[in-house]
Amino acid sequence: MSNVDDTAKPVASGTVEKTDSHFHAYGKNRLGLYLTLPAQILVLFIALFPLLMQLYISLTDWTPLTGVRWPQAYQLWSGLANYADLLDDDRFYGALWRTFFIIIVAVPIEFFLGLAMALLFMDEFPAKRLFYSALLVPMMIVPAVAGYMFFLLFQSGGPINQLLSLALGTKVAISWLSDPDLALAAVIISDIWQWTPLMFLILLAGLLGVPSEQLKAATLLGASPWQRFLTILLPKIKAIMVIALAIRTIELFKIFDTLYIMTAGGPGVATETISVFIFKITTQELVWGYVAALALLILFTLSVIAGLAMYFLQRKKREVAA
Amino acid sequence: MSDIRLENLTKRFGSFTAIENMNLHIRDGEFLALLGPSGCGKSTTMNIIAGMEKPTEGKVHFGDREVSRVPMGKRGVGFVFQNYAIFTHMTVRQNLEYGLRMNGLPAEERKRKANEMASFMELTSMLEKPTAGLSVNILQRIAIGRSAVLEPAIFLLDEPLSNVDAAFRSVMRYELKQLQRRFKQTMVYVTHDQLEAMTMADRIAVMDQGVLQQIGTPLEVYNNPANVFVANFIGAPGMNLLEGSLVSEGDRLFVNFAELQQKIELPESLATATQAVKSRDVVFGFRPEEVELDTQPGGLTLPATFLERIGARTILHLGKDVCEVKAVFENDVEVMLDSQVAFRPAMGSERLFEAASGKRIS
Repeated sequence: MSNVDDTAKPVASGTVEKTDSHFHAYGKNRLGLYLTLPAQILVLFIALFPLLMQLYISLTDWTPLTGVRWPQAYQLWSGLANYADLLDDDRFYGALWRTFFIIIVAVPIEFFLGLAMALLFMDEFPAKRLFYSALLVPMMIVPAVAGYMFFLLFQSGGPINQLLSLALGTKVAISWLSDPDLALAAVIISDIWQWTPLMFLILLAGLLGVPSEQLKAATLLGASPWQRFLTILLPKIKAIMVIALAIRTIELFKIFDTLYIMTAGGPGVATETISVFIFKITTQELVWGYVAALALLILFTLSVIAGLAMYFLQRKKREVAA
Repeated sequence: MSDIRLENLTKRFGSFTAIENMNLHIRDGEFLALLGPSGCGKSTTMNIIAGMEKPTEGKVHFGDREVSRVPMGKRGVGFVFQNYAIFTHMTVRQNLEYGLRMNGLPAEERKRKANEMASFMELTSMLEKPTAGLSVNILQRIAIGRSAVLEPAIFLLDEPLSNVDAAFRSVMRYELKQLQRRFKQTMVYVTHDQLEAMTMADRIAVMDQGVLQQIGTPLEVYNNPANVFVANFIGAPGMNLLEGSLVSEGDRLFVNFAELQQKIELPESLATATQAVKSRDVVFGFRPEEVELDTQPGGLTLPATFLERIGARTILHLGKDVCEVKAVFENDVEVMLDSQVAFRPAMGSERLFEAASGKRIS
């Protein structure tokens, strides 16, 4: 979109140039526009069209069962009723809260575990490559498979309870996935298992990017390992930390596959997150206008998170440049 | 006491031997240059002194204290890296104060010491600037100041001048010497530039292929190189070295150069020295600066092949390949190219080395 504006600008601001060259410049700019037009339309179509369609549907009560084709959805115009309903929907607030709860618990744990492991991996130790490969395995597993794995692990007669029984010496039979209080914990544990490696990988890349001479110089100037971390490593990987945290926050906001296989959002709505909520009302209640409104709201929320992260990174960059 | 003693120091990386059984005593308050070509083990030696590398064998002593197992943060040495390792996310002042802050000095004192060091290193005007984007010359002064502010008894510098421009290099040579005079540290300076070593060092340790070749004052190393390597490495151009064999004629001793079909008589002192050596194969050496043009018999004659004029001096190339001899003259020397030039080394400037071992015969 901004491309169109840029090419048009010289024409608008053309001042006292001769008519000839004015037209020449005009023509040349237009030519550029024409040549890129197909690509621009394609981009517009891909990016903007679904968004506009969603916005349109969200303002109606349209569902595929009404017998009306979607372009005629205006026949079922309902204005902002869907948004009003949404703001009054306790199930929506519950799902939103659970989603944030998972983020608030899982992201910091993944972050600190990943950071601690990344710091360990800055030094040499025996069989480092082996540990390195082993650590990255969870990340490679298809989330649905990971979900199935944890579904089995957390069965009341499953390996986790057996291990606990062994460790405690008495028979433990916790029903992890059917206890409303524990199901969310099980989901969080599975997410930590699968995604701490990603945190680890991103943070390790950041740490290895810090020049080793600067660390040696700090050591020679008398800095302890902790002081080195605070004064050299931390300031230098701040930007990468923000990226890692933003990626995991946005990803977790969309958590679905692992969770759906483990608990299907249950018991009841105990583990129903935003994505599961959308999935359920789309397939079970068929209120598509309502879903469209909900999806736009989530898009807006994620954009704000991404925007904040971007703002922070830009500010860092300006500080460095200044 | 802050003298440094290296005892039977050996460092291997896998099958590669970086340092071979090195013994070196660096005196308290001395400015020692570790000089040698790239890959000779001089930086590894320095890293072992600093504690960044552990020796495979041997010991490092600071004064009476053995420090071989002391971690680098606890050795209290100042270190200037070749690339300076400036903390680019901090201001100049934060860099200068870093060591003081890590050692828990109160803010007032930190500020005073940093200001003092800044004025000594001429950094006062840029104290509050971020270090990212400063010129190499300034980064270097920060690197030195950052270590010097802690007043370490031992100061190690790893080729600190190799990245700065020629004009600034001479300024820094002077400043480094001033710094040492002021704080009286023991300074170890790694370089491959013999000019830096010659101008700044009290003593020079010449290394090659992990082996310490010679240690001595700049003039000792220049005048009396211990072996062929040092003779060739020190001096610009290096010493002329001609392979030949000893030939006796009556009670006079000559070096015969088979390729040239010429010979030159050895002075009596060298002739006596050769009695201790069995082999007759020798290398005859003399400094290019000590060549005299001479038409009298007894010298050597070679064709002039090239005249190199470098302003104040002129370097005359005679002969070629193994028989090449260089001679340095004032800039007004006139020699016809391809003409035969008769010359001889100045009296007493001749040096003789064993051909097999390369060691000097004296």
